[in-house]
Amino acid sequence: VNDETQLREQCRGAIAAAKQCGADEVEVFAQTSRTISVEIEKHDLQTSSSQQETMIGVRAYVDRRVGFACTNVIEELDATCADAVKLAKASPKDDHNVLADPVPVAPIDGLYDPAAETFTVSDAVNQAIRMIETAESMDRRLVLGGGSFSANLSSRCIVTTRGIDVASNGSLFTYHALATAKDGTQVSNMAFHFDASHAVDGIDVGPVAAHACRDALGSLGAKKGESFVGPVILAPNAVQSILAGLFAFQLSAKNALRGASRWGGTLGQSVASPSLTLVDDGCLPGGVATESFDREGLPHRKLILIEAGVPQALMHNAYTARAMNADNTSHATGSARTIPYIGPTNLSILPGASSKDEMIAEMKNGLLVNRFSGSSNPISGDFSGVAKAAYLIKDGKLDRPVTGTLIAGNVFDALNKLTGISSDTERVFTAILPYVRIDGISVTAE
Amino acid sequence: MQDILARIAAQAGGWVELRFQGRSTQQIAVRNGELEESSSKRIQGIGVRALVDGVFGFASTTDLRESSIVETVKAAQSAARTSAAAKKHRIPGLASASMAVGTFPVKTSDPLDDHPLEEKLELVLRIDERIRKASSSVVSSSTSYAEIQDEKIIVTSDGARAHLFVAIPEFRVMAVAQKDGNQCFGMKANGVHGGWRDLFAAMSPEDMADYAVRTAVEQLTAPLPQGGLATVVLDPGLVGVLSHEAIGHTVEADIVLGGAITAEKMNEKVASELVTMIDSGASEHAPHATGTLAVDDEGVATRKTTLIENGVLRSYLHNRETAAHFDVEPTGNARAFEYSDAPIIRMRNTYIEPGDTPVEDLIAGVEDGYYMCGLGFGGQADSNAEFMFGVREAHRIHNGKLGEVVRGATISGNAFDVLSSVDAVGNDFQWDLGAGTCGKSQYAKVDAGGPHLRCKATIGGRQ
Repeated sequence: VNDETQLREQCRGAIAAAKQCGADEVEVFAQTSRTISVEIEKHDLQTSSSQQETMIGVRAYVDRRVGFACTNVIEELDATCADAVKLAKASPKDDHNVLADPVPVAPIDGLYDPAAETFTVSDAVNQAIRMIETAESMDRRLVLGGGSFSANLSSRCIVTTRGIDVASNGSLFTYHALATAKDGTQVSNMAFHFDASHAVDGIDVGPVAAHACRDALGSLGAKKGESFVGPVILAPNAVQSILAGLFAFQLSAKNALRGASRWGGTLGQSVASPSLTLVDDGCLPGGVATESFDREGLPHRKLILIEAGVPQALMHNAYTARAMNADNTSHATGSARTIPYIGPTNLSILPGASSKDEMIAEMKNGLLVNRFSGSSNPISGDFSGVAKAAYLIKDGKLDRPVTGTLIAGNVFDALNKLTGISSDTERVFTAILPYVRIDGISVTAE
Repeated sequence: MQDILARIAAQAGGWVELRFQGRSTQQIAVRNGELEESSSKRIQGIGVRALVDGVFGFASTTDLRESSIVETVKAAQSAARTSAAAKKHRIPGLASASMAVGTFPVKTSDPLDDHPLEEKLELVLRIDERIRKASSSVVSSSTSYAEIQDEKIIVTSDGARAHLFVAIPEFRVMAVAQKDGNQCFGMKANGVHGGWRDLFAAMSPEDMADYAVRTAVEQLTAPLPQGGLATVVLDPGLVGVLSHEAIGHTVEADIVLGGAITAEKMNEKVASELVTMIDSGASEHAPHATGTLAVDDEGVATRKTTLIENGVLRSYLHNRETAAHFDVEPTGNARAFEYSDAPIIRMRNTYIEPGDTPVEDLIAGVEDGYYMCGLGFGGQADSNAEFMFGVREAHRIHNGKLGEVVRGATISGNAFDVLSSVDAVGNDFQWDLGAGTCGKSQYAKVDAGGPHLRCKATIGGRQ
């Protein structure tokens, strides 16, 4: 198993090899990962697996030209370095191609649990069984159609010719459940729920399975809904599907630099209701994406992206920070397999004052959407798709589950029609999101 | 390597499958004349699947020493044994199949490696510039080239000894045109299983660029389509997307067992008798389809599988486990994207067989309708065959003649209803999904296509 010391040696060796080939600046990112996973399918255990890989990615610079090559064949690392330099030499020059200058990185507690070292396939199987048993204990009509439990141990190390030399270890357990309820010929929508923990002690699969099961049971007996233009409450899963990609796209400095972001040139101008505050925090305690440094080796920090409806900052990496003469916000993302992109870490919409139930109670007519299956265009803002596990809301109450209901609208318009953000939030992959109520959404019952 | 894997398989005790995969990839992406990415990737490793007590276990390693591969086999067997205690349904056995033996090279006269990086980079930069210079309405361009080259050795304890090569280049262009604050996109993407010349055999890179610009600019001033059920002529691209996305996934046997709409429809009429749909490991009708595969990742020789024959559902897509469950022969659809992925049921080249109607007659037979080409932005399909796709290019048809362009069109419906409404099938054929990557917990390179055909579907349009 590669530890930090070994990764560091490999990084330094690769830097020397790339320089030998003619690189004037080099960044090497080495990443080792061990994963154990157990899949659930058709309410039964499926294939269990164990995997291990070390991947090394080399970015070589020759006179402001850049090339990237990566490999998991460590014996061929010198050839990979030569490839990166060759790619760089063939590329056009770009003055913004620079590596970041080092900034001290402080370790973050709670990202690595030594107990994860001894976590076995058998432990993972037991967690998957617990999810199935949770469903069985709730209702005989429930089926876990899908799910997984996965344990990952990783080490990362970044060394650059500019003096960055950072390394860290992490452990992460992730798990999700996909539940369906069947009653005679009636079949519910598939309901999804996800959670994660960095520590063995924090693993709690029961509530994840139970949440998916409750949503599935609730949508049993769903019938055709009603068509209207009006308020819709999006559950955190649907918020993630419809809004999160657009936030990431619009607030990327790279997209602003290309002129592809509507918000890029108009920071400080309102784009959403004042109830919306969007924060990205790569240091968030317990966050799935929490890590002490970004893909370019700079320390993560908390950044307010939108405050009270007004965009405040863009997400930058070394390239865009130089090109736009802005602060590098350390938002380089990606693995050792990829060039660094720009993206959020733990993206959060800050909670509002009312609970989800209070938000429902305030509505005369509307729709609650637990999951969204469709497309949301991050450039135009147009979204359309099927509302899954959806309920009609009548006179402040969940009236009945509905099926075959399409919702459509435009995210840019919708952000100005936010009429509620819940105090309750949920984790959806790396994001922490509330229930969001939006007016003026087109709802079509098929 | 094959001999070592065979020796380990023979000594493993019980059924095992060992897959070596060495993969080299290259990616060049340019946007608005600026290089976004020039990268290469080289990965290799061995994935092992073991069947113990009726349960699969999987493990992978990048360490190719014999001792390490033996350890990996033990890890896979141990993973299987661990879950066996708790698994409710054991796999009673794997269906017997014609296990592949031999070497299967890429069929091309113009291998990718004969073309240096500089040539590929120059082409991407030149085509990107062509897009931006083609029209004053173009505000943004993007052009990219990507290639995947695989070497695979697949060995099973029950006889597979396959040495397989895959080469998939692909080329994509996109133009964004703008007028009065209104933005429209035009795009084209081609991919093949083959070499450099094969990639551009159907359409030159210059023609792809010009197509993207023309469709983007035409849409700027185009009206939205009128919503509702309409008679439409679908081009081979949309026929392919419909076949793969809306029908193909519902006949993957694992999805069938999970409760797809096709579960109760075997040997029932599900489409017009004019419709015969195939999923094949070969590239019938036209060469170099991207999903072309002589051997699947279970070591089974692939077959031409007739899914729908003259409108009647005839087969699902199988691996050896589901073939045993349904008591049929495996179809060679078990595929893994990388060495570290366990094989699952995936499509290959999915298409509708050509008919006998000339394409111009298909259009001539429409009094009031639409001609729709290619997959645009967005789309989704469910296991109940309900779908909605964005359309790349759409024209009105009036009195049997192609009319004005409409913009932002979508097509939706239930794929079986749409195929039941087919009243004429063209006598042409084209692959069009060659640059497509299908996602189902792991990626797969697939292709899809067919002839033009005429049917009824719901048309939508967005602002």
